[in-house]
Amino acid sequence: MGLVNFLVYLAIMMGIYGILSLSLNLQYGFTGLANFGHVAFFCLGAYTSTRLVLVFKMPFIIGLLGAMVIAGLFGYVISIPTANLKEDYWAIATLAAAEVVRIFFLNEDWVVGGGPYQGGSFGIGGIPQPLRSLFSAYTYPFFYLAVVLVCLLATYVIINALTQSPFGRVIKSIRSGDNLPQALGKDVRAFRMKVMAIGGTFGGLAGCLWAHYHGFISPNQFLPLETFIVWAMVIVGGKANNKGAIVGAVVIMVFYNSTRFLKDYIPIEEVTLASLRMVVIGVLIVIAMIFMKEGLIKEKKTVY
Amino acid sequence: MENSVILKIEHIYKNFGGILALNGVSFSVEANSITGLIGPNGSGKSTLFNVISGFYRKDSGEIYFRGEKIEGLEPCNIAMLGIGRTFQISEAPEKTTVLENLLLAPKRQCGEGVFNVFLNPLRIRREHEQHLNNALGILELIQLTDLKNEYAENLSGGQKKLLSLGRILMSEPQLLLLDEPTAGVNPTLVKDLMVAIRNLRDQKGITILLVEHNMRVISEICERVIVLDFGQKIAEGTPEEIQSNEAVLEAYLSGSSKRGLFREDT
Repeated sequence: MGLVNFLVYLAIMMGIYGILSLSLNLQYGFTGLANFGHVAFFCLGAYTSTRLVLVFKMPFIIGLLGAMVIAGLFGYVISIPTANLKEDYWAIATLAAAEVVRIFFLNEDWVVGGGPYQGGSFGIGGIPQPLRSLFSAYTYPFFYLAVVLVCLLATYVIINALTQSPFGRVIKSIRSGDNLPQALGKDVRAFRMKVMAIGGTFGGLAGCLWAHYHGFISPNQFLPLETFIVWAMVIVGGKANNKGAIVGAVVIMVFYNSTRFLKDYIPIEEVTLASLRMVVIGVLIVIAMIFMKEGLIKEKKTVY
Repeated sequence: MENSVILKIEHIYKNFGGILALNGVSFSVEANSITGLIGPNGSGKSTLFNVISGFYRKDSGEIYFRGEKIEGLEPCNIAMLGIGRTFQISEAPEKTTVLENLLLAPKRQCGEGVFNVFLNPLRIRREHEQHLNNALGILELIQLTDLKNEYAENLSGGQKKLLSLGRILMSEPQLLLLDEPTAGVNPTLVKDLMVAIRNLRDQKGITILLVEHNMRVISEICERVIVLDFGQKIAEGTPEEIQSNEAVLEAYLSGSSKRGLFREDT
């Protein structure tokens, strides 16, 4: 029973991170936008949904849609000043934007209702889980897994349709520089902004699913580190391949959680173990960079 | 329409930190003509192309396209007006096939809109069929049919030139700025290319302005030739007039490049 619970938990995490990885892949893999602040969307989605459901007592579905809208809008807004930046500057700007979002929630307790020991650095607990009363404690995770998988599938279908459309062709051409698409009359800036908004929307979806699963969120869950875990998923899975993004999320999540079993075999402290998982992710990225530059699943050639 | 002016350039100046790349260039291009733009290396030809297509901002001067002033527009807006251009060094986005490159180019594709992808799938399919048909025709023209599913980055330099010509044709420009379309292209193919360029004008009514170092191409397909030197127009006329123009000979012979204008090779 313990193992089944763990596996369901792992599958839910894979699903949520799969959504994040798909949306980052749209931005980085397909469009070449080095978004180092993807966690901002995740964070905004989590807090927006918490605000709507916990404070405003709205139904879960409103929280979910609200999370997507707010995170998508944020993606659009931060790309207004940054859309003309080159890749490395873009990375710095997005990294900073994500920290701004995190620090905002760290300081503004009122966002999640306020009250003693609530909001800000205390985080906020008691986030309601959707349809919790219809299930037992044992069956609920299975239901939630189904919700996550439906969201993951929807994300995959939508992003995949986009990347295979003429829209996808334009964003792929932006990856290698602005000149050519510009000369063909493509408004590169507008396409970048759309990609940021779409990626943000799905990042927000993942954040909402995360918040309502754990029932507790706090700003220190949304450190830049989270962004890089998602990056590892895209790099290891295979950039510009939507299946690769999901495979990457599965692989990284397996390794990320594998270290917890190490303590049964190696005498090692819990604290060290927690840091060790980051080492594992780092090693995986390096291995991918050296031996599989294109990731586990390579970018597919479009043949007509 | 024989004598109507499609592109008019007046007193264009462009400065790069003290180097005057364009020093008051003025000329007009007639609609439905093939005009050559020549000049020694560094005379400002590519800079002029970049100014016309909006990639560089001019310091002063005016550009009129079909009688309308082009001012402060982004390159993509200028392309949408109907001015197509190719680059001296051909660009090909990574991991896109030759055919994808061609299908990228048509303007105002329904499927470029995010919501249309989900709301208008039938129209997108219809447009796709049509573009695919055009693309296959253009592949024949540029002789890349066999390579249609090859990644564009794997093509040779000459093939990339051909691809960039094909790609810009897919976008159906009214005025086409070609930056050295035959550089690096196999000599037998150059002949076909000249025929193709002439056909573009004769059959599709596209006005062509081309930068070219190959004088045979210039004298065979251009009706008018404009010569730049040190950012200024030094001569204009038919290819025959240009070949005997004193100022032109002077520019080529005394220029730092020292290259012959009328050699028969390449």
